[in-house]
This record gives sequence, structure tokens and C-alpha cells, in this order.
Amino acid sequence: MIAASQRNGSRVKRISSLLAIASVSAVVLWPGWTGKAQGVNSAPAAGTKNYFTPAAARFSPDGAKLYVVCEDQDLVLAVDPRMQRVMGKVKVGHRPRSLVVSPDGKNLYVANEWSDTVSVVDAATMHVRRSLPTGWGPVGLATDKPGKTLYVANSIGNDISVLDLVTGTELKRLVSLRSPHDVELSRDGRRVYVANLLPHLVSPDESPISDLVIIDTQKQEVSERIEIPGVLELRHVAEAPAAQGGYLLVPFMRPKNLNPLIQVANGWILTHGMAIVRLAKTGGATVHSEVTQVLLDDMDYYYAGADGAAFTPDGRYALVTHADAATVSVIDTSLLRKRLQSFPAAELADRLDSALEFVVRRVQTESNPTDVEVSPDGRTAVVVNRLDDSLTLVSIPGFQVRSRVDLGGPKEISALRHGQQLFHDAKFCFQGQFACATCHPDDHIDGVAWNLETPQLGRDRVANRTLRGIAETAPYKWNGHNPDLETQCGPRIAKFLFHSEGFNPKQLADLVTFIKSIPLSPNRHLAADGQLTPAQERGRNIFFQKGCDTCHPPATHYTTKTSFDVGTASKYDTSGVFDVPQLDRIYEKPPYLHNGEAQSLEEIWTKYNATDKHGVTSDMSKEQLNDLVEFLKSL
Amino acid sequence: MRSGQRNRWLAALAGLLFLATGALAQTPTLYTKWENFTTANGMPDAKVLSVLVDGDRVWAGTENGLVLLEKSKIVKVLTAADGLANRVVTGIAIDQKTGDLWLSTFGGVSRYSGGTFQNFTSLSTGLANDIVYGIAVQNDFLWAATTAGISRMNLRTGEWSIISERTAPMHEPWSYGVAVGDGKVYFAVWGGGVLEYDIAGDYWKPYTDPDGEMEIVLFKNQGLIHIIVSNISYNHDTKMFWASTYFGMSGYDGHNWYNYLSTDSGLASDFINATQTRGDDVWACTDKGLSYLNFKTNTWVTYRPNPKTRRGEIVITGPDKKVTTRETPTTLVHNYILNMAFQGDDIWVATAAGLSHGISESHKEGKSHEQARVGR
Repeated sequence: MIAASQRNGSRVKRISSLLAIASVSAVVLWPGWTGKAQGVNSAPAAGTKNYFTPAAARFSPDGAKLYVVCEDQDLVLAVDPRMQRVMGKVKVGHRPRSLVVSPDGKNLYVANEWSDTVSVVDAATMHVRRSLPTGWGPVGLATDKPGKTLYVANSIGNDISVLDLVTGTELKRLVSLRSPHDVELSRDGRRVYVANLLPHLVSPDESPISDLVIIDTQKQEVSERIEIPGVLELRHVAEAPAAQGGYLLVPFMRPKNLNPLIQVANGWILTHGMAIVRLAKTGGATVHSEVTQVLLDDMDYYYAGADGAAFTPDGRYALVTHADAATVSVIDTSLLRKRLQSFPAAELADRLDSALEFVVRRVQTESNPTDVEVSPDGRTAVVVNRLDDSLTLVSIPGFQVRSRVDLGGPKEISALRHGQQLFHDAKFCFQGQFACATCHPDDHIDGVAWNLETPQLGRDRVANRTLRGIAETAPYKWNGHNPDLETQCGPRIAKFLFHSEGFNPKQLADLVTFIKSIPLSPNRHLAADGQLTPAQERGRNIFFQKGCDTCHPPATHYTTKTSFDVGTASKYDTSGVFDVPQLDRIYEKPPYLHNGEAQSLEEIWTKYNATDKHGVTSDMSKEQLNDLVEFLKSL
Repeated sequence: MRSGQRNRWLAALAGLLFLATGALAQTPTLYTKWENFTTANGMPDAKVLSVLVDGDRVWAGTENGLVLLEKSKIVKVLTAADGLANRVVTGIAIDQKTGDLWLSTFGGVSRYSGGTFQNFTSLSTGLANDIVYGIAVQNDFLWAATTAGISRMNLRTGEWSIISERTAPMHEPWSYGVAVGDGKVYFAVWGGGVLEYDIAGDYWKPYTDPDGEMEIVLFKNQGLIHIIVSNISYNHDTKMFWASTYFGMSGYDGHNWYNYLSTDSGLASDFINATQTRGDDVWACTDKGLSYLNFKTNTWVTYRPNPKTRRGEIVITGPDKKVTTRETPTTLVHNYILNMAFQGDDIWVATAAGLSHGISESHKEGKSHEQARVGR
């Protein structure tokens, strides 16, 4: 077996040689270019720094400016792409995640995930004109063609706010289902596409299914929900030009979560690819959109974290970033079309050799490339390196790295930042199959249950657990066997999951530093002043009267940090004793219970507490259960 | 012409016009042309429980799934196999803002959005009970009438509340119907009369039968005619709610009650499954035909098939109780009527043997109907 890092090293070497000439030029021309991702191999410094953490970028309509949203500093930067320097900046709401430029180029709309607002920024003066309230956790957005309506993906509310930009009011909310992420307007302006990060809630025995939501911009209603089976983490949507077929390209992660994860070394446990969606012509009763899946991985190496996507203006090429592999795949769309015509869709989804046919180049980037944007003149692709505080400019059509644009973040890499980069680096896994972030998107959950360490198919399946706010909730794992994060993320990960040498002690320490720093998001179910609603107050009384606090004490994040048998084991579980989960932001974490059987908080008691071992709840009325659930959501 | 003569002429002309107008007002538009949709031509079940019009689209809830008709053609049949919560679709509502369809079923509540269903059951959500008879959307709230009380879901936060005999003035929780009024929501409660919820004030007010008599009305307009209320509708034009009971029909305008029995009106039967109303029109879906009341003129029309002739029978009862009948070549598919809805000047009628479409004289094929979104 070739160690992952060695394998990756040889790959990097190969790609580096392809880029050598361009890189050397860039170093000469642009002082900010370092020629190497800063974090992974450089000596990190301790302490927290004020990193920018650019998440997304958008060109002005004339291509003269590039706007970059920086989530850790609550900033939007205006960058001159020609001079490759930052021209201006503006402070926006808390944790901005994406932005869109108005069709006339005069305004920027910025989605502030933790403020639950959209900042409207004057693009000329770079000051905030006003702030518009949205639903919970806005992360993606798009305007309609006239620029009068804004569609905002609310990741926590699981819906889409439709805002009237003239009045600044919210017209309606459309249901998206689970964690809507990216919002894009179709080229003809008739549709808005919304990609859902998380899949449907399904039985742990089922493969995931994810949704692409289509909104009719004339009616401002959902016209279709396109199911993409077997995949999750739909992060972006790109639409091909009409002349190239007008299809949608949607990057995804495709897990074999029903197979034992310890089979990573056998390959193809986690794959990364894209859905090609041909929309229904009429939207009539019997005409459905067609979905074909193709993988972007090589036969012997993977490109984890398929994320950003964009077409060149002529549609000849498509670019997909791999956020956990510091790579951009360049796809020749004519070769892709040929590939799609060569095999039936059902077969193509499982073909492991597709990328060989249409991926014409792998461009190395800096750490965690989450977005790619092509300039209006089609000559430059801009890749946003989220954990490098930089942009990589790629020439088109040669697809050579032209330069690295330093956005001005701290030059020193802290232990925490280093750990964050490691968290997003799949090279530590066998053949680069996945990074920590691959199954913990946004440091959270992927919404599915996994057969992790038990070699038998279907046994000991466990639901993914969030990493938000877990610093003080040891032990870890559903069986509570890992006393600390060092154990959880160290040799265990290396042996059972990564099948590699894993992290060295320093890397492990930094990774743990980062994981411990992951905060909880604001609680949307609790009033700003902490006052409980009448239902929450009634639920609180029930919580304590029923003795829920025996195992879920408030003082320790509502966990005793021990394990109990609460009667939730299924016949597929080796043991019925499970770690008591913390209840902070419990509403963000479905499915529930160790194996993800409970798709809602209610089901914990209505379906999976038949013997009253998980609290005596069979005597509760439905009204009481509703109140209890409302209280739990306030935690 | 002298001015006195001219004035007399004008007075006479005005009188004639008044009489003509009055005569016209007392002769309601009659539905003489009907088309029917049954299991013979594509309906998944004979019994149609609910119907809703959304512009050119007509949705029908049956005992075996949901049916979509466009331009008088069945274009889609959706069943439990397609993800519907249960095969029995008792009620349909549309969220005017989002266009999403909400369905009450015997297995919970379904939301139909973008071609897929999302289900809400008492096990997976805070819904009071899975037997749901009525449903309505009021701004950002969903209301569901269930056998275990009324459920309300906040569509923004997902919070569920249950209104039952424990939390509201209703001595029976079994609820059959819900209608959204102006600032109020009304509920039909089996054995509990009509329950009114004031949205701004967040309080409840019950309307029950003051005489408590099962079969008779002691004082005609003293209050709700009977407490076994099978359904309810609200007229936004007249600001009145209309309650159907199994012992007559009641209307209430906030001050006065208007009660009707088959014995003293043109109502086909006192056993009424539902009412629908707009303008001066009140329709009663009875077990013996579909009755229409022009509230302004007190003129009644009842539509029913004649089982002997298999032709239609229209019975017109004037304000003077004078009865005239008329025969039509086509008619309702069955006289047991469960609900109905308006589509422009046309009507759609849910019956025990299929869905009937009453085609108005003004109807033209392909005509764009009024974009009304009304239903149970």
C-alpha cells in the first residue's frame, strides 16, 4: 500500500511540474505569491489570528472588480483582478458566507449566516446601505434578472427567503428541505436553482437522496424538486450555456455509508463527482428532469470535497473545485458530452474511469478552495482559497496558475489555523478519499448514518455527530470509548478510517485545537433575552419533572459524559450502551439516536421508547411532548 | 313633452327596470350542462371527498389518492405509492404565497411542493392525530382539524400547538373543518359547535346550539342550529361564516344568525356535509343533492340526478316558496355531495360516485378562469 501522503506527494510533484513555468512567472510578477500552500507543512504558530477566511467571490458585471466575502472577519473585499490588489473593504454582518452582485453592478448582497441578515452594500463606495432580515442561517443568494427580487438560502431554517429589494421586505419563504446552500439564477432568468447540502432524512438502511430545488421566478414558486440519489453535499450549481446544452452541473459527495468504512483501503467508499441535470422541457405532469452522475475521481486517487463549479463563457470548459484536495478539475465539456452518450446513465454512475475521459487538467490550489468564478471575458478563473486567505488566478484556456493573490490576512499560521487546514486535507487518507471535513461539512454533520468500524455489513451503524461545541463533552464516539479528542482523531482515525499513517503528534495537537474551537451557532429558537416562550417554559418543567436532567444535566451541556442503555439498540447493534449526547442546538442535528433512526425529536419518544427506558414518557400527552420538544429546541 | 309627463315616463321606466332587475336577481344562473369524472374515465376511486381550484388546475381528494385535472382532463393521479401520507384525502388547501398544496388525510398531513410530498404525522411531528379532516393555511400558520383536536404549525419555526378540550372552550376535541376568516379562524367541531379563534387577540370563542335540541329549532335564528358541525366555510364578501350540520345549516354575520332547514326552505336535506360561499351565493353539499341559496333573494336551487330517468333535476324554490322544476340531459354523477369549489363561473362538485363539473353558460373551452384559489 502506498501511503497517502507519499501518493499525494508524487501527484503534487507531477502537477507542480505542469505548472512550473507559470508559477515561476507568478513569483517574479507578484510578491504575494509564495508558491506553496502555507499551512500544511510550515511550522504553525500558537494562538488565534484574525484570518480573513474568504469563502466566495463574484465579479462585477464588467469584470473590473472582484468582490470577496470573508467569513471570519465579517468583511467583503473589493479586489482589482488586473492589479491583483485589494482596493477596498466593508464590514458586513456576522459570518458572511456568500454574495451576489446586482445586475446593474451597483449593489452587493451579502448573506450573513449568523446575523440572519443580508447586507446591501453600495458597490461604488463600499458602505452598507441597509440590512435586510432573512430566515435562519442565510448562506447563498441570487437576484432575479431585473434585480428586484432576492432569493436567499436559509441553511438552518431549511427554506428560501424571497425578498422584495424595492421595499426590503420578505415576500415569502419557500421550503427547501435540508440545509439549502447555493442559489443560482438561470441564464435566461426564468428559474432559480437551489442546492441542498444535506440529504433527505431517510432510514439508516437507505442510501441518501439529495434535492436540487427549481424555482419558477415568474410565479416565485417551487416548480420542481429534482432528486439526486445516492449523494449528498450539493454545494454549488453551474448552468452550461444554452449552446452547450444548458444542462446543470452539480458537484456532490457519494458515500457508500452502508458498507463498512474500514474498507477504505479497498477503494470507492467515498467518491466525488457531479450530477449532470437536464431539465424537463415543459414541467408538465409526466415530464421529469434527467439526472446522470459521473465521478471526478481518478482510478487510484480521489478528489475530496467537490465544491465550487463554473463554466467558461463559451461553455467549452467547466471547473470544479475540490475543497479538501486543494485542486481544481478542468472538464472539457465536449469530451464530457461524448462520455455521457457512451454509456447508459445507470451504468455511468458506477464507472470508475470517467474522469480519465473528460478531466483534462488538475490544477493545484492553496488550502480549501471553496469557490471558483470565471471572469466575464473568459480569460481568468479565480479560485477562492478559504484557508489560505488568498485567490489563485488561473489562465484560460491554458489552465496554468497565473498567480496567487494575497488578500492580506496574517502571514503566520497559528496552531488553530493549521488544525483547520488539516481538517480540510484529504491527503491523510488512503488515496485521498476524504478529509475530516468531507463527512463534517461546515464542521457539522452530513446527515447520514455510517457503518464505521465493524467489518460486518450493516452492523453497528451510527449517525454522524456534530463537531460544534464539543470541546467539553468528552468522551467521544457513540460508544463513549474515546476519552478525548486526541484519541478520537489520532491513531483510531489513522487505523480504522484513513488507513494511513495519520497525523503526527504536532499535527494532531493542532487538529484538536481547531476542533475544540468550533463554536455553536446562535440559537434561533431562543429569544434574544433568553426568555422562554410559554410552551418552552411548560416543556422545561416537564424536563425536570421527568428527570431528564439525570442524564442530561444543564451544567455540563446536558450530558453526564457517561454511557447508558436507554433501550434504543437494534438487532444490528453489538451493545446497547451508548454515550449520552449533549443537547446544545439539538434542533440542528437530525437524525437522532445513535443510529439515526429517529428522524425528528418527537420520534425519539413516539417510536423508539416503547419500554420507557429513555425516560418514562408513555404517560405523556401529545401536548406535553410538544412542549418538551419546544424546550429542547431552546437549548 | 311637458315636464310632468316626462317625469311620469321616467318613473314608469325606472319601475320597469326595477322589476326586470328584480326578476333577473331572483332567477339564478342554472347549471344545465355537466361533465363527470368517475372510475370509468380515470378517477382512482369513486368517492371524492374534497376539491380545490387553483386557477386552471382542479385538485380532487379521493378515498384513493389525489387527482389533478387541467382543462377537464385528468393529468395526474398521486397515491400513497407516490409519497402521499395516506390514500384518503379529506381536505385540500393551498398556501397562496408559496403555491404549495396542503392535504389532510387519514394518515396525517402532506405538503405537496415542487412535485414531491413531505409528510407530517403524529409520530414524527407535533400533529395531534393522524385522522385529519380539514386543513387551512393562515399566513405563516397551518391549521389542521383532527379527531384529537386542532393542530397548528408555525411554518416559520416548526412549532406545533394543540388546541383541544384541555386548552380551549370545546367539550369535544373531534374537529371536522377549518376556515380562515378576516382576522379569525373558524373550526367545525363534532358535537362542539363552531369554535372561533381571534388571531390578533389570541383567544377562543365557542358557538353552540342554545336550545340543545337534536331535531328541532325552538327559536329559528337564536344561534347555531346544531352542535354537530360537519364543516365550515367563510364568505369574505359578506363577512359571514356558514356552518354545515347534520341537522340544518347556519350562517352568522357577527350579529345575526340565519338558519335553514329543509322543511322551511329549498334545502335538499338537513344532512349537510359542507358549505361553500361567495358573494350572495351559499352552497350546501347534502346527502340528497347540491343546494344553492341566493342569500339576498332567498331563492333556492337544488341539483340532483333523477335515478329513474338518469337525467338531471333542477328544483327552484322562490322566496314565496313556489317550486318549479326543470330537467337537464346531464347532471351530477351522484346525489350524495361531499364538497364543492368554484372555478370562475363553473363549479366542481365532489360526490360519492365521482367528480362533477357544472359548466356555466359563459364557459368557453380554454377560457382563462378567474384565478380563484378556494376549497375546503
